[in-house]
Amino acid sequence: MSERERWATRIGLVLAMAGNAVGLGNFLRFPRQVALNGGGAFMIPYFCAFILMGIPLMWLEWTMGRYGGQFGHSTTAGQFDAMWKNRWAKYIGSIGISIPMLFAMYYIYIESWTLAYSFFSMTKKYFGIAEMEKMNTFLQSFQGVSQSGEFFSSIVAAIFFWLITLILNIWVIGRGISRGIERLAKIAMPLLFLFGIILVIRVLTLGTPDHRYPDRNVMSGFAYMWNPNFSKLTDFSVWLAAAGQIFFTLSIGTGTIQTYASYLRKDDDCVLTGLSTSATNEFAEVVLGGSIAIPISVAFFGLTTTQLIARQGSFDLGFVAMPIIFQKLPLGFFFGAMWFILLFFAGITSSVALTSPLMALLREKFGIPRARAAKVVGLILFVLGLPVIFFLKYGYMDQYDFWIGTILLAFLALCETLVFVFAFSRPRVLGSGVKNRLLGYMKFGLDAGWEEMSRSAEIKIPRVFYYILKYLVPLFLIVLFCGWLWQDLRSETSVVLMRGIESQHRLFRWVARLTIIGVILGVGFLVKLAWRRRE
Amino acid sequence: MNIGGWIFLVVGWGLVTALIALCYYRIFKKKP
Repeated sequence: MSERERWATRIGLVLAMAGNAVGLGNFLRFPRQVALNGGGAFMIPYFCAFILMGIPLMWLEWTMGRYGGQFGHSTTAGQFDAMWKNRWAKYIGSIGISIPMLFAMYYIYIESWTLAYSFFSMTKKYFGIAEMEKMNTFLQSFQGVSQSGEFFSSIVAAIFFWLITLILNIWVIGRGISRGIERLAKIAMPLLFLFGIILVIRVLTLGTPDHRYPDRNVMSGFAYMWNPNFSKLTDFSVWLAAAGQIFFTLSIGTGTIQTYASYLRKDDDCVLTGLSTSATNEFAEVVLGGSIAIPISVAFFGLTTTQLIARQGSFDLGFVAMPIIFQKLPLGFFFGAMWFILLFFAGITSSVALTSPLMALLREKFGIPRARAAKVVGLILFVLGLPVIFFLKYGYMDQYDFWIGTILLAFLALCETLVFVFAFSRPRVLGSGVKNRLLGYMKFGLDAGWEEMSRSAEIKIPRVFYYILKYLVPLFLIVLFCGWLWQDLRSETSVVLMRGIESQHRLFRWVARLTIIGVILGVGFLVKLAWRRRE
Repeated sequence: MNIGGWIFLVVGWGLVTALIALCYYRIFKKKP
């Protein structure tokens, strides 16, 4: 068997992990969440969730990954099996392979919009569209949702950019961990930060773009983002939104952190490196993500319109409001391209991570060479990605986003926490380095996990995190899981109950649900085959 | 922006900037 892949450099690892975490949500989702949920006051539940749930879960997933990697397991299926001596462990863990794969099926399509829009910015394709409604029609025409044919006669352009994005992803993962993913991160992440800083400076120096409307200025934008509304803190949904934002932004519960961490060496540090990843993500989110879209929107459209855009959704902010703004800026085509390339870099560094667990399963457990495994993953993404494109107008993606991007993420995070805290069993060893001495008895539960987490750590984890991991994190996750379900069931547009959906559209949503179930069962079957081969 | 906004902005930015600075300082610090 060929030697296990490893990260070439530590900074490459941090950037790749940060690239996994920094995604479109940092720049489009976060500013909306802050603006809609109490402004500056939102930062109280946000930082509480970061410290009490985000950081401990990040350490937990890094530790799981490194521990499983010692036994040659790069996926959560093997890692659950290594941690928990139960025949069902690998099947529960296999969700950590199907979640990212299903996620990638629609995430890559959204990512391809950013590539397309950077091209449209450079070629000034949307220039001349000044009204919000028309720009929305432009987006829908591109996506094939609107059949007006006013801007795009067919969905071919969307498929073209999707295919380029898909091929780029497959090319990167086909080159492997250090030569593909790590190199991409070393180029894309510094550029992402550079572009982000340039755009923030551009926003900060805007002042009052139109002197006929003195109240439309950047400071009003920052005021909308940051002026605290403490009354919101009594609303449970604000706390849920803050915890959710931390959850999504750190890519927790996707199974990708564990796969990346499995390529660590046995005595590599998990704690400082994991914290650095979280810090990089938080900087990209709070400082860069919070200072671009909302402030610039207030400066150009005013507060009332921005509030309306923020309520409508992240895509309206990114793909409808921003292209109108860029037309009003000097060198707008340049800044527009920069904004969308920044989003593309944020997207691709995340999507290559989403494909890595299945790649690892195919390579490790079935011995498929890297290039061929990448092609297989590409083929699956192509076939199962097509319905996402063609059925977008029927709410196909909404089903994916709710079941995969919300419910299953929380479910996997809850399972891994429960296993780590209550069922983890590992041999008790003495000493450090390769020549650990086996004492022949086991440590169980969080004691084992804590020992594994602290091993080779470059900073000491405060003991309070032991109790946070044991009591608070599982509680947090149960509340999140139930809270999201409860919120959806009460909503007038409930995804679970398909409330307010026309009966002819329900069929497409059921197809989405069956695809999700099919992929989960299919991956479970692959895991069964893999273990049978091993035996 | 009111004083509360400034406080949250400065504390929010300050916290994440301090965290990232400290982490990278520790990573790049030469080991004895």
